[in-house]
Amino acid sequence: MDCGTCESASPLQVHLPDEVDVELTMTEKATSMLNDAFGDDRSHALLVGVLSGGCSGYMYDLQIVESTETPCQELNINGFRVLVPKASSHLLNGIEIDYVDRLMGGGFKINNPNASSSCGCGESFA
Amino acid sequence: MGMVRFDAYTLLLQGDGLFDFLDGLSTNLVSQSCTTVFTDRTAKIIDVCEIIAIDSRVALVGYAPNKENVVHHLSERLLGRPITITDISHLNHVYIGTGDDETPENATVHQSHFGILYVVSTTSDYTASWDMDSWNEHRIEHCIPFHGHEITSRVHPLACGLGDLVHPNKGCYIGQEILTRMRSRGKQGHRLEVRDNPTDNVTTLGSTRSLCIVRDQ
Repeated sequence: MDCGTCESASPLQVHLPDEVDVELTMTEKATSMLNDAFGDDRSHALLVGVLSGGCSGYMYDLQIVESTETPCQELNINGFRVLVPKASSHLLNGIEIDYVDRLMGGGFKINNPNASSSCGCGESFA
Repeated sequence: MGMVRFDAYTLLLQGDGLFDFLDGLSTNLVSQSCTTVFTDRTAKIIDVCEIIAIDSRVALVGYAPNKENVVHHLSERLLGRPITITDISHLNHVYIGTGDDETPENATVHQSHFGILYVVSTTSDYTASWDMDSWNEHRIEHCIPFHGHEITSRVHPLACGLGDLVHPNKGCYIGQEILTRMRSRGKQGHRLEVRDNPTDNVTTLGSTRSLCIVRDQ
């Protein structure tokens, strides 16, 4: 196989979606659960990201982080630092972070107006 | 036995987490070199690709008419991952066959679902020993589906004889819910068969027998 060089084969210019200024909301239940998780320590942030994969093509990724090397927009929502990766801002603008309290399938839930469909478990969307 | 020229594209992927990225978007377990199927949300085939590990990089070999769709499918889901995609199709020819022929000089050899696959620099003067008719007769004899015949964007992998490339328990990927439901209910709609000529629903016509995608009874 000839793998090429920079002269003979340069990387494809892939289309990157435009970054949008993300607006997101958080329900009272989600805020309360985050209060329990963070306590008084607000040095950490909630990272709300998107990964490729899942049944519908994209998966939500929620993490509590101190910092990240991923270029992010930083928001202040209900007193919490929320980080949204710039590369997935177009998929997350307008979302609502909710918390569903039930034994099976409970936990944080994202209501996303950009999603045309989602899989049964609610973690994946398109 | 022999080998035929495959109308293929070759993409070179470089970056971190390549197997993980490809695994999340295709039907087979991608943890090493293998053949896998990229499917859409309705489980229809986008392309069947060879994943070939080359040191820390991965070569992705698929059917040339599907290249733009695959590049779009992958690039839409990079989401800031440090992965670059380079099109090296113009530098390489791809051959596929039974593995009995002499290996072309400096070829990258890969065990594909369809046979032995060789990626050879275009500077090589290698010529294939088979024409398409010979390859098709071989496929019919061994019930091997192929691009442009059985494998099209109108079918899902279970309907065209690619069930071996749909991993039963690897976890989520695009189209997984539909394929899993078909399997668990034993209803996949269509299946690939070899039938004596003359017959209906032919996808590859052979001299005495043909490959057909037929509706499940």
